[in-house]
Amino acid sequence: MTRAFAITLNALSLYAVALVLAAAFAAQLLLHELPCPLCLLQRLQFTVLAIGPILNIRWGLRPSHYALSLLAATAGAAFSTRQILLHIMPGDTGYGSALLGYHYYSWALIGFAAAIVLLAAILLFDRQFDRDDATPVAPGAFAITAVWLVIGLTALNVASTLLECGFGACAENPLVYELLKRGG
Amino acid sequence: MEFTALFLVVTVVMIVAWHGPRPLALTLFAVVLLASVATYLHHATDTLTLSF
Repeated sequence: MTRAFAITLNALSLYAVALVLAAAFAAQLLLHELPCPLCLLQRLQFTVLAIGPILNIRWGLRPSHYALSLLAATAGAAFSTRQILLHIMPGDTGYGSALLGYHYYSWALIGFAAAIVLLAAILLFDRQFDRDDATPVAPGAFAITAVWLVIGLTALNVASTLLECGFGACAENPLVYELLKRGG
Repeated sequence: MEFTALFLVVTVVMIVAWHGPRPLALTLFAVVLLASVATYLHHATDTLTLSF
């Protein structure tokens, strides 16, 4: 695997994270489903997952950058597993609506598990880390757009969580935007 | 509020990873990962409304 191809794969992974974040916003805004604290933690881990690819694109490919993403994906998998276990009892309809038969936290676990497998797979290709070819590849528009798309969506979550939780602790079962309620 | 702070820190980490020094980005990454685990441990015992 060449360095340029690996950089393209890293950019594609950022677009995948952006898609997840956009889908979460779509569910929140179109279906009026406010994310619970555990849901927000899983959303947060998807954003943390993106830091490794950003470092790879900016500073060159390093195993340590992939390791950061592996740590984030492992934590995210643990968080989503916890939420699945909260709703595992027979008769429990789960939190929020289901998409293609699975709730968002089930999809999150699938996403984090897929990320772990893909990260392990890309680490199999040693040539991308060759010292002979250590000159960082200048990121193209495709990669730069991916980086700023993810940064923008993460910044939107700052505003979104501030609206939802206000200046106090987030409600366990949020029903209204705290900041809008106080304003209204 | 804790989530606003966490997302804000992640945004800063991303910007530092892109524009700032790499060691600082790695340090901030460690901070945000530990903070998210601590937040998880706080919320892991949340009582959610069950439907049965």
